[in-house]
Order: sequence, then C-alpha cells, then structure tokens
Amino acid sequence: MSALDLSTGRPQPTLSPGAWLGRVFAILLLLTFAAFFVVPLIWLLIAPTKTDRQLLLEHPFAIGDWPTLVDNWMSLVTFQNGLLWTWIGNSAFYCIAALIITLVISIPAGYALALTEFRGRKALLATTLVVMLVPGTALVLPIFLELSAVKLIGNPLAVILPFSFFPFGVYLTYIYFSTAISRDLLDAARIDGANEFQVFAKIAMPLATPVIALVGFFNFTGNWNNYFLPYVTLPGRKAPIQVGLAELLSNVPAFNPTNAASTTISLSALALATLLAISPVLIVFLFSQRFLVTGMTAGGTKE
Amino acid sequence: MTSLDQNAVRPLTGGLRPRNGSVEKAQGRMGLIFVSAYTLFLVVFGILPSLYAVYLAFTKKGAFVGIDNFIKVFKDYRFLPAVEHVGVFLIVWLVGLVFFVVLLALVVHSIGIRWLSSSMRFLYYIPGALAGASSVMLWLFVLDPTVSPVGFILQAFGITSLVSAVQADRLPLVLAVIAFWTGAGGWIVVMYGALNNISKDVIEAARVDGAGPVRIAWSIQIPLMRKWIAYMVVLSFAGGTQLFVEPRVLSQASRGVVSQDYSLNQLAFLYAFKQSDFNGSAAISLLLLVVAVVLSVVFVFRGGLFERA
Amino acid sequence: MKLKHTLVALSALMAASPALAAEGEITIWADATRQPAVEAFQADHPEIKVNLVVDDGSSGASGTFQTKIGLADQAGEGWPDVVFSTQNNDAAWASKEINGVQPFAQVLNEGFLDQAFLDGFTPGALDPVTIDGKVYGLRNDLAPVLFWYNKTLLEQFGYEAPKTWEAYQALGDKLAAEHPGYFLGAIGDSFEGPYVYYWSGQAPIFQVEGEKFKSDTSHPDAAKVSALIDHMVANKTLTLDSLFGASFVASADKLVAIPGAAWYAGALFQNPGGVNAKAGDWVAAEPLYWEGKDKVTGNVGGGVWYASSHTASPEAVKTFLQYIVSNEKTAGTGGLPAYKAAADAWLEAQASSGFYAGDFKAAISTAAASVWNGWGYPNFSPETAWAKVITPGLAAGKTMADLSAEWQQEMKNEAQVVGYTVD
Repeated sequence: MSALDLSTGRPQPTLSPGAWLGRVFAILLLLTFAAFFVVPLIWLLIAPTKTDRQLLLEHPFAIGDWPTLVDNWMSLVTFQNGLLWTWIGNSAFYCIAALIITLVISIPAGYALALTEFRGRKALLATTLVVMLVPGTALVLPIFLELSAVKLIGNPLAVILPFSFFPFGVYLTYIYFSTAISRDLLDAARIDGANEFQVFAKIAMPLATPVIALVGFFNFTGNWNNYFLPYVTLPGRKAPIQVGLAELLSNVPAFNPTNAASTTISLSALALATLLAISPVLIVFLFSQRFLVTGMTAGGTKE
Repeated sequence: MTSLDQNAVRPLTGGLRPRNGSVEKAQGRMGLIFVSAYTLFLVVFGILPSLYAVYLAFTKKGAFVGIDNFIKVFKDYRFLPAVEHVGVFLIVWLVGLVFFVVLLALVVHSIGIRWLSSSMRFLYYIPGALAGASSVMLWLFVLDPTVSPVGFILQAFGITSLVSAVQADRLPLVLAVIAFWTGAGGWIVVMYGALNNISKDVIEAARVDGAGPVRIAWSIQIPLMRKWIAYMVVLSFAGGTQLFVEPRVLSQASRGVVSQDYSLNQLAFLYAFKQSDFNGSAAISLLLLVVAVVLSVVFVFRGGLFERA
Repeated sequence: MKLKHTLVALSALMAASPALAAEGEITIWADATRQPAVEAFQADHPEIKVNLVVDDGSSGASGTFQTKIGLADQAGEGWPDVVFSTQNNDAAWASKEINGVQPFAQVLNEGFLDQAFLDGFTPGALDPVTIDGKVYGLRNDLAPVLFWYNKTLLEQFGYEAPKTWEAYQALGDKLAAEHPGYFLGAIGDSFEGPYVYYWSGQAPIFQVEGEKFKSDTSHPDAAKVSALIDHMVANKTLTLDSLFGASFVASADKLVAIPGAAWYAGALFQNPGGVNAKAGDWVAAEPLYWEGKDKVTGNVGGGVWYASSHTASPEAVKTFLQYIVSNEKTAGTGGLPAYKAAADAWLEAQASSGFYAGDFKAAISTAAASVWNGWGYPNFSPETAWAKVITPGLAAGKTMADLSAEWQQEMKNEAQVVGYTVD
C-alpha cells in the first residue's frame, strides 16, 4: 500500500485521483477511530472539574475550574469516612500480593518448561495452553463454589490465590526462555560445575527482567480490573475498587433517584472516582507503552 | 492480547544430546521442583473447581440426580433469552471486531509516516487500561444524552435518555461498542505485528504485477494473518460468552430496564445468590466452561498457532 | 530475601485484618433517605458507635439486600446488624434458612422486643412482615396512596379537584387542551405504575393465595387502569420521567396534581431538591376511587427495618430499632410513621405547621385505613417486571394495552422461579 508512503523521501509519482481519494479515506478512517477511542477518555479527564449543573448545561469539553475539582475530590474522599481509600488500598494489597506470588511461581515454571526435561513436561505445557485460553470469568463461579465449600470466602486469600494462578504468565516465560537463552549456555555453566539451581539463578534470572516486567504487567492490570471474582469471593468492606465503584452507583441520584440529597455522590464525583480507579493501570499503560508494544508483538516483529 | 508467536514455539528436541545420566536426573528433579508450585495452583484453581462444578451440576443435596439440574435450567424461562442475548451480542461484536481490527491494522500499517502510525496505535490501545466496571462506568456517561460528550450522535439515533440508549434492541450493539472500545486496540497492535512479519518482497512483487493496495490486502496480507484472526476470534468468543459486569452495571444504572438476568453468567449468579441453588448455578457455569474449554482445545491442537505444544 | 520479608509482612497484614465488632458497635445498611434519621440517633446515643453503609435500599426491587446477605452467608461474616429495605416483601426469604445458614432476620416478637412496644404500631402495620405469628421486621412508615393537588393552580385554572379516577382523567383532558405542558403525575419509576395506579385501582394483578400466585391484567378492573394510563400518557398529562430525575424536577412547577404515597410529603413537596412546594399551595386529599366501587387505595412500600440474627450487639440493636421507628422527630423519615404515637405527633405537627392546605390529618388517616388488602407480598416484586417490560415499552411509544399481557407473563414467570404455582 504505497499510496500512503509520504515520509520516505522517495520521489512520489503523481497520485491518480483514485489513489488520492483512497489516501483521504484512509486518513479520515484513522482519525475517526482515534476520536472514538480517545474522546471518552478526554471527557473523563475534564468532567471532574465541573459541577453537575455544568455537566448538564455546558459544552461537554468546556473545562471547569480548580475549586470545583477540589470540591468533588473532597466529597469523594470524605464519602463514608474515606471508604474509597479502603477500596483502593484493598485493590493494591490484593494485586501486589498476587503479583509477587505470580512471579515466584510462574518464572521458575516457565523456565523449567523451556529449558529442562522432566516427566510430564509436555502434558503440563498442553494443559497450560488450554487453561490459558479459557477466559478467567468462566472459572469464577466454580472457584467461588469450591472456596465456599472450604469456607474461604471472605478471606483475602480468596482473591489473592486465584489472582496468582496465571497460566498465561507461565506461557510467556516459557516462550521467552526458549528463545532468549540457548541450552548451550546452560550446558557450559554446568560443565563449569554449577548445579541446576545455580544455573537458573546465575544464568537465567539476570536475563529475565523483560519477561518479569511483561508477566507482571499483564497480571497486575488484569487483576486490578477484575470485577466478578472479588465481587463474589470477597464482599463488604474488603471489596476492591472495581466492586466499590459499582457500589458507588447506588449513591448517585442520576442513576438511582432518591429523595435525599444528604450524602449522595454527584455525577462529576463519580467521574472522578472512575478516573481514580483506573489511574494505576492507566499510568502503567502510558509509561510502559513502548516496551509493551514490543512485548506484545515480540515474535511478530522479528523476521 | 498476548505476545504469542508461531516462530517462538519451536522444537525443543534439537537441544538434546548425549549427556551424563546424573545431570539429566538432576535436571529432571529441578524441573519438577520448579513447576511444582505452579502445578499446585493449576490443580487447585483450574482443575479442582471444574471438577467440583461437575459434581455439583449432577447432584442435588449430595445425591446423584443425572441431568435434572440441566433440565431445570433449560426450562427456566430466563435461559433461552439469556442465550439469545449473548448470541446476538457475540455476532454483532465478532463481526465488527474482525472487520474493523483487520481494516484498521491494514491502514495503520500502510502509513509511511512513522510517528503517525505509532501514535495511532498508541491512541487505539490506551482504552485497554479500562476494563470491567470502570469502562462501563465511563460508558454510562457517554450513553446518557444529558451529559454525553457525543450527545449529538445519540440524538441522531433518536436516543433521548439512558433508558432508550440501553433498550433491548440496541443493547447488543451498545455492549459490542463498549467491548470494542476496550479491547480492539490491543488486537490492532497484534495484527500490526503480524503484518510486519510478512515479507516485503512478496508485497513488492505483487505491486510490480500491478496489484493495488486493496488487492494486496485481500490476496496476500489477510490470508497470512488468518491464524491471528482465528486466535482473536476464539479468545473473544470465549470471553464474550462470559458477559457479566457490563450488563450488571447497566442494570443497576438503568434501574432494571436492563434486566438482572440478561446474560448467562448473571443467571448463574442469580441462581447462586437469589435462589440459593448452587446446583443450578454450577450447571450453567459448567455449560459455559465446556464451551470455553472445547474452543480452547480445538484451537490449541488445530489452530496452528501453537504447533509445538 | 526482600521477597521473603514482603511475604511475611503480607501474611501478618492478612491475619490482622478482620477485627470483630465489639458490643456497642453496630453496622447499618440503609438508603440515603434514612441517613438523617440515623445521624439523629447517633447524636442522641453517642454511647453506641454506628457504622452506616449507604446503599440503594433495594429500591426498584434491585435485590441488593438479598444478594449481599447471600454473599455474607457464604463468607460466614460481614452481616450488618440492622438493614433497611424499601421493599415490604423481604421477610419471605429473610425468615428462611438458606443453604444451612440460619435465617438472616431476627424474630422481633417472642421476647426480643417488648410486646408492649410492638403493640404500639398502628394495627396491621406489621402484617407484611409477619409470617406464622413471627414478626421479622419493623415498618418504617405507612405509605398509603392519597391524592395530592396544587390548590392555587387549580383555582387559577378554574378547575374542581377530582374525587374519582374518572374525574382525574377528565381533568387531564381539560388540562391538555387548555394548558398544555401542565401535568397530573409521573409513571417513570417502577413503583408508580404497580402501586399508585393498579393497586389503588383495585386491579387483581398481584395476588397470592397460599402457594399460588395470580395475576390478571385483562380483568376489567385492571383494563380500566391500563386505559387510564394510556389515555393520560397520550395526552401528556402523565410524564414518563422519574419522580426524582432532573427533568421532573425541572418541570415541577407545572405539576398540578399527583396521586401518590404519604411519604411524598417529605420526599417530594417539602424537599428542596424535589417539587420544593410553597407553603399553603398543596393539599393532601383522600384517595381517588372508581365511581361505584369500593373506596380503597394502594400502598407504596413504606420500608422495613430488619435486625440481624447474627448480631453481636443485640442490646444496641434493640435501642436503635425502638428509636428509629418511634422517635417523634425523625420516625417515618418524611412519611407517616408506622408507630402510632409517632404518627400522631407527625400528623399534629403537619397540621399545626399549616404547610398543607385542607384537612391533612383526616385525609391521611382515611387513606391509611383503606389500603386494599387484595394485593400480595410474595417473594418477588412487580417492580422488576415493570422495569423490564413496561418502562422501555412506554419509552418506545407502546401502550399498556400492548404491553400488559407481556407484563403479566413476566410476573408469572418470576413467581414460578421462586416457587409459586401459577395458572
């Protein structure tokens, strides 16, 4: 599709009307979708600076003012004695704990699958692939039923442990080690007298940083955004922010009309809460974009 | 959204060479130790829950009842509508997803301007940070004409209130748009990677033969992306059958206009928490799980993406 | 090493997290409307620490109460000590053992609360929450439907206040023709249709006999109500807006009259965020009835306070329950208190304030005494079916005539799911 080769500096043949139209169409298409993906986010950044009245009456992209943002912030953080912080703190605790456990169990497992031979390796790999493709949601109610039978519902472990089961992470590690490290390198270390654990610790681990980051990213973002599992396995004040956010809805008069105006959450405060809820993941996304895109297409981009 | 790669999964057997038996033994032991924690999690949170769901689905109060629980669920007046809702949503979403993801990946890939191409991918990808409750929350605002940043578009479709935005015949489209908004960007990036993988010589040869961009896309690029498209469809299909948080939050926000039993997972949830019927709940979950596992198994062993599994 | 430390720290955190509530501390789930009353309790009883969790009060039969208790049952902890629900039918499930977990609702008579105190309720007020002689909850307020009208506007237009549903409809015709934009009620929430119109109109669409659920939307008495609604929606004297939504509030100065519950007094008319009526404009009149039929009316919730059977602070719970239903300043939370003494005080205060014109006390008392008893309290609500079928249907321009068969089917289906037999 050379029609769009604008930057190459090669002398361009004069475009035919058809090609010119095609190019215009392509640019329009890209910009339309860019707007589709980005406009809601921009609106979300602006909304907390306005009052509900301004939200209803003013231009959607008119920016409000600082004092209003402060007001919305205050109404949100004082809501039920700072319940929002409890939720966010819960999320952070569950996700970080799960992240650590995930890394501790996935990295060695991926390494072993890639670079060692043991009985049942192929079966384990195949099972991992199958389970990896089964959406996490499909296992939520079965896991709930299981945890309920062993009376673990309501315990933080009921979220942390399922969050730490991350076959995709094992697979990523497996892929990484089987391409990034040659067996010859390991064998050389063995000949030098290193035992199997030293081989892993001295040779493999120093090279594993990229895959640790990658596994950590997918595990953390997925868990942070998970709603269904914590909703059923960890109710009440121990809920993470995603569940809390949905709970907030019932305090927003616009979505759940009640006659009392005392401690309700305004629309703009709800928008602010949404923004807060996603901010950790959003920040990770913004700052790790380059490495992520490389990671996601690691194999895809190389010839 | 993954970084799977057909090249990466290459045969491991090539590395085997004659070696000292004790080293192999040590290696085998180490391997087993290294995978033991993971295997334990796999059993406890992958295999056991599935088996327990099987047990619950075929029993009632501990006694074997055959397929009674399934019959009860099938006869439930909410079951078929839920299947239909999920089905219609899946069709709308998957068709849209495949069409637009492939189209956008091709167009983004064809831009010669580097920064434009990469910033487009970046912009498309960013909404992926929002999933679950937060993305629906944001879309509540977008769909409510009184505050929507795109109120004029809603008006053009005759949507005057949130209730009319989520009314039954629009809902599959609305859910599909939300899902597309969150997930499509990641797939566009993956497809872009797949397109980069196609040899430039092949494209150049076609161009010399006089093939236009549309023809090149149709006859060369899309066929070579087929595995990845299949991968996207399988994962999205399996994920889509699990619809839960989106209709649930919409139900809350629309005060029941989107019913609480809209999707199959919601129905399974109601069985567990409103009817206190864990057996019925397990039966529905099991149906969904079987669909997901069958799809997954077929894809792993027939999809061609994991040739050396 | 670092990792190990972190793990140790994490597990220490986990072990420390659940602290059992001490006697004297209670957790309450209630909606935002109840909050001022709960805060009044805190001010009067500083010795009891109250942890209020504001939820939706299960409005619109959202099932919040039941599902959250179901989750707590599974967790084996996290039950609140007291719950408020806007629905009157929760006793049906809260009185039952579920999957081996004891019934959530504490039996309040038979020794928990003094019988003398319970006898202080208006006769019949506790009927919806009494099963086999056991009382499972305390009514917050009585919510009989009466007829509210704006005297000033009616006089200005030169109209008579209607006394019957027929006259109400005729008033709608005149208003639509002579003063378009002015209106006579709302049907945008899921409670107005079933309770304010069908129940008051004596329509046999939600009845329980033993284990049998009956609904007949094609019965002549139901069809009359449907026709009334269709007629008035068509001439726009019934709005499809929610009573508490922004667009209703914006047009509230064009509201001429509205049939509605006693709690509209505080929730709608004397609410700065609602109609915000001027003193002396509005009259609470006796309920509307059909010409030649019984003079009966409907009931819109009224809400119920439940005590948890799991509570660790039974004394604090008792103190709270007695206060919340009988304290004269806050009982009823803007409506007619179900507790007799508080009701009398409230009626007296309303009458002496002169906010409402006409004989407020007589109208409310008449309404409270004439709630039609042909309406059932099964383990589900007509509101979910209304929200699912009617709300979007009306919004899409359909009529009750088109939709009522589907609505009936939906209610019957729901009844079957929760175990009732239907025809």
